[in-house]
Amino acid sequence: MTPVLDLQNLSVDLPLGGFLSRARLTILQDVNLTVARGESVALVGESGSGKTTLARAVMGLQGMSGGEIRLDGQPVAGKAGLARLRRDATMMFQDATASLSPRLTVGYLVTEPFRIHRQPLPDPDRMARDLLATVGLPAAIARRYPHELSGGQARRVGVARALALRPRLVIADEPTAGLDVSVQAEVLNLMADLRRDMGLAYLIITHNLALVRHVADRVAVLYLGRVVEEGPTAEVFAAPAHPYTASLIAAEPKPDPRRRRADLAIKGEVPSVLRRPSGCEFHTRCGLVQDICRQNAPDLHPTTTGRLARCHFADQNQEQGDHHALEH
Amino acid sequence: MSSAVDDITLPARRGIGRALLRDPMGLAGLVLVVAFLAMALLAPWIAPYDPIALNVKAKFQPPSAAHWAGTDHLGRDLLSRIIWGARLALGISITSVGIAGALGLVLGLVAGYGPRWLDSALVLVFDSMSSLPMIFFALAVITVLGPGTTTLILVIVLVSFPSYARLIRTQTLSLSGADYILAERAMGAGPVRIIFRHLLPNVVGPMVILICMDIPVVIMLEAGLSYLNLGVKPPSPSWGNILAEGYNSLRQAPHIVVIAGIPLVLATLGFTFLGEGLRDVLDPRGAGRRWT
Repeated sequence: MTPVLDLQNLSVDLPLGGFLSRARLTILQDVNLTVARGESVALVGESGSGKTTLARAVMGLQGMSGGEIRLDGQPVAGKAGLARLRRDATMMFQDATASLSPRLTVGYLVTEPFRIHRQPLPDPDRMARDLLATVGLPAAIARRYPHELSGGQARRVGVARALALRPRLVIADEPTAGLDVSVQAEVLNLMADLRRDMGLAYLIITHNLALVRHVADRVAVLYLGRVVEEGPTAEVFAAPAHPYTASLIAAEPKPDPRRRRADLAIKGEVPSVLRRPSGCEFHTRCGLVQDICRQNAPDLHPTTTGRLARCHFADQNQEQGDHHALEH
Repeated sequence: MSSAVDDITLPARRGIGRALLRDPMGLAGLVLVVAFLAMALLAPWIAPYDPIALNVKAKFQPPSAAHWAGTDHLGRDLLSRIIWGARLALGISITSVGIAGALGLVLGLVAGYGPRWLDSALVLVFDSMSSLPMIFFALAVITVLGPGTTTLILVIVLVSFPSYARLIRTQTLSLSGADYILAERAMGAGPVRIIFRHLLPNVVGPMVILICMDIPVVIMLEAGLSYLNLGVKPPSPSWGNILAEGYNSLRQAPHIVVIAGIPLVLATLGFTFLGEGLRDVLDPRGAGRRWT
């Protein structure tokens, strides 16, 4: 089946200042990612790994330097293609309140997609009420302004607006950022319900691994703008094939401090994209670094279990992870 | 369906007037501005005398029951001249500042949100316009086109639109990276919708107050040019003419300058207060009551 979203060799780079300077800064390099119909894919990585840039590039907010975006198998090209993409795919921004135009009422904002795409809107008020009801908000909210909403309400309005034109794909940038735990759970359950009812596919961008475990079928790990590991969520978490993934999982706060793995603790800061390390880009921070890592850059290749990892020792890591998983 | 919910999806406009009345400063400004507007509109009916009728026997009279504001060097009733002067002062200033504001708003939005090359071109225009010394520029235009009300309005528009355009451009630039603008673009909103529905309502606030504060400046400019005999021609009762003539007879009748100054002061205060009040009311977040 053709995936809803298919990113092929997506690359983004930015001019690196300086008049007449041709130097460019690589933000994303050859990212391949698919999201199948009804599937929920998580994109994880530290700040600066290019997660948000990827989302913006998909929505056409950020120019690409290479690669192709396919929506339902058709390449997105030209104005018409972009318009189709922006109708069939919507994006939920990290800051829900700030992504609502401050001087318009919620009622207007949730029906705006119809006006933008010139879709028939015979009864805007009814539509506003229906959309708000879908996300569990009372109709009275329609007359409020964004600044009069709580964080959870603003997030729900964001969801209602994203769903107005019944899209195929929702890109959610940190859908639970800034919400307290009970509201996070509500929003996630709402997203899960809508996925079931409307057959939505999600691309969830986050660094919250608990969220990934909870909602994602597949996970892709981004490091310095490259995918370093990709596979089904359960498998990746049970036996990470890339040491970076293992470190991210190890860095998660654990209720039991004795279960922390000091040997996997990530070292140092993310290297600057201005000075990418030679060889494997993770070698400067890797606990398992070998000589080969400093010289040769590994490719993103399939492991024995069919996942993808960008590490020379992916298969060994994976086996060890399995042992650990068995021990616990 | 009740009418109360009928408008829930309309762009917002609610009770600005009522909110303004609750703000003491805004109320004071509104009262003054409305009073001046009424004075300007009703001049023929409320002015006790003909503003240009001479009565040399009664010249330089101090305020009295017959002439509440006294008379000038030609015996014309000052109160009538001030009332008629409001018509000229407000007519010229509101027209010119309104045109300059609209021009600045559109150009500022286009410069701020449009392509980079257009921005550079427009900024060049704004900068070269505002680098011209105002009075000399005014003199040049008046020399070419001849003095008169239309020329005066043209000069004021040309001189003052760059400051509005630059204010709006700066604000537009800082907002065009805002999440909600990105969100609108991600939804497929075109530049026209983004500029007029999402940027404009969020950038006009500061311009409203700037406009209200500029109206008295323009009134003064008109007075100044009239003094130089380059604005409104005597015997038309412009406040500038009254002040200029009063200045000539400062020794014989000091009351003329004082009394002619009162409407200028009150108009300045009125428009400034109204500007402040409007700004507070127009911002639905009610944030930043102090604007500096």
